Amino acid sequence: MPKLTRRHFTTLAGASLASGLFAPAAIGQAKPRVIVIGGGPAGATIARYVNKESNGAVHVTLIEPQKEFTTCFFSNLYVGGYRDLQSLTHNYDKVRKEGVNVVQATAAGINPATKTVVLTTQERLPYDRLVVAPGIDLKFDSVPGYSEAASEIMPHAWKAGPQTELLVKKLNALNDGDQIVMIAPPNPYRCPPGPYERASMFAHVLKTKGHTKSKILILDPKPTFSKQALFLEGWEKHYPGMIEWQDPKMHGGIKGVDATTGEVKTDLANYKAQLVNVIPAQMAGKIARDAGLADQTGFCPIDPETMKSKSNTDIFVVGDACIPGDMPKSAFSANSQAKVAAMVIRAELTGARAFPARYSNTCWSLIETDENVKVGGAYEPGEGKIKASSTFVSQKDEAPELRAQNYKESTDWYASIVADMFG
Amino acid sequence: MLGMLGAGSSAQAAADLELGRYLATECTTCHRPGAATAAIPNIYSLAESTFAEVMKGYRDKRLANPVMQNIASRLSDDDIAALAAFFATVKAN
Ligand SMILES: Cc1cc2nc3c(=O)[nH]c(=O)nc-3n(C[C@H](O)[C@H](O)[C@H](O)COP(=O)(O)OP(=O)(O)OC[C@H]3O[C@@H](n4cnc5c(N)ncnc54)[C@H](O)[C@@H]3O)c2cc1C
Ligand code: HEC
Repeated sequence: MPKLTRRHFTTLAGASLASGLFAPAAIGQAKPRVIVIGGGPAGATIARYVNKESNGAVHVTLIEPQKEFTTCFFSNLYVGGYRDLQSLTHNYDKVRKEGVNVVQATAAGINPATKTVVLTTQERLPYDRLVVAPGIDLKFDSVPGYSEAASEIMPHAWKAGPQTELLVKKLNALNDGDQIVMIAPPNPYRCPPGPYERASMFAHVLKTKGHTKSKILILDPKPTFSKQALFLEGWEKHYPGMIEWQDPKMHGGIKGVDATTGEVKTDLANYKAQLVNVIPAQMAGKIARDAGLADQTGFCPIDPETMKSKSNTDIFVVGDACIPGDMPKSAFSANSQAKVAAMVIRAELTGARAFPARYSNTCWSLIETDENVKVGGAYEPGEGKIKASSTFVSQKDEAPELRAQNYKESTDWYASIVADMFG
Repeated sequence: MLGMLGAGSSAQAAADLELGRYLATECTTCHRPGAATAAIPNIYSLAESTFAEVMKGYRDKRLANPVMQNIASRLSDDDIAALAAFFATVKAN
């Protein structure tokens, strides 16, 4: 059988449109309704794109409990002292002004049979298409002794806001000679290079203060990590002897933490640290799991051509909550997936043209001032998943100007993606 | 970076603006309308011929930036023409 090309795909989509498969769902009714649960990079982007591109032909509701959204992305730069938290905090005023019905509320449940979302206030909202984009929940008990209560002493700071502020407060209170232990998460988790960028920012702060006797220990449940060669090179160059990374062979297993004493136990040693940053295992946000959209991995399988849930064709799961194939869980990925979902939703509800799905991602990481490395890829549906078609990563021993240029790119990207999400 | 080199090329008539509009959603994650920033340049209102030439430069890796090389790697000539036409005409909102 000949392989389907992009041209064929477009023709096929056209054909199915004619045969009714993509026919507008709500002809003769009021405007078709789209509900988006979660106003992060995934949800905010979809709400804006469906609203804008359909010129008001679709009624879009965005459900998000927070009045303001603080981005996890760039929160490590706040840890390093390069940004303040206010510059990472955004509101939904423009999204609302553009015509999206932004509802400040929490979705309590989804009823796929009646196509309604129930809010914690008991209010019921009907939908024609639903987008579930709640991000992640933390599996606190993946680290013995850790809990939500313990995170008030040993912050995870893997959701931005008060947790990040607590982490920074503790970091800034350290004296020379104090120890930091980070427990890194197992795969899959949001932002694969994130823990190692954060350790770099810890080191930057300690070095800047002249805390030469302090050390940072990373206990990792993984044998390797993202951009490993680049981080190890950067740590050796800028923070020699300050950051120690241990894989499972070196620590023998992470046995647990005790928030009251500041102790961290591995199979081979006990540590006492003044700052413990525990980043536990992760799963899709509760609302997605409760609706039965997740599989045994805790995340939600999707159709790579459309971003639809594998278990319900009226429901899309986008961003960190989904199983994104070869893509990492990142804000960039979430924003990219959102555009595919928005395109498919418009095709189904308004008869707009459908195009083949395309995705991309780039993640920049700051190691030290003007020392920034990047990794990225282009992705398309293939082998039943979102599959990488080309990838790139910064090289070791690059010219300093290139690394400084990467940092400038990352700050330009930040300004652009938040404008893309929040207007 | 590139200056504006006058009116669009004759390829404009053939370009698929709707396709351009969809493909452009990938670009707006990094390129924002109206921003003439240092590291990620403005690409709105560029002359179509220049735009296409630059994109092919990244695709052929004659232009060095790996981010743009990666983005351009899967774009066909028709995709590039569609993007060039879209960005030349779109009103930055
Ligand atoms: C330290 C750190 C650094 C990072 N750096 C980068 C980076 O440099 N680049 C990058 O691309 N990514 C980065 N990331 C990853 C990025 O932050 C996430 O991948 C991204 O936020 C995922 O977007 P999302 O929309 O899927 O989920 P989220 O951002 O988590 O948004 C989900 C939203 O849904 C809402 N919600 C949840 N449940 C409900 C409900 N029941 N009802 C209504 N609303 C609900 C939440 O309030 C939240 O606002 C980083 C992450 C961390 C932790
Ligand atoms: C991940 C971020 C990113 C994305 C996504 C991206 N670009 Fe770029 N783009 C860049 C960077 C960085 C440069 C500067 C490259 C250089 O220095 O050569 C650039 C440069 C360009 C230029 C050259 C402009 C000039 O004046 O020299 C064009 C044209 C361009 N991009 C078009 C696009 C198009 C079209 C898309 C979408 C299909 C796109 N870009 C997506 C980051 C991005």
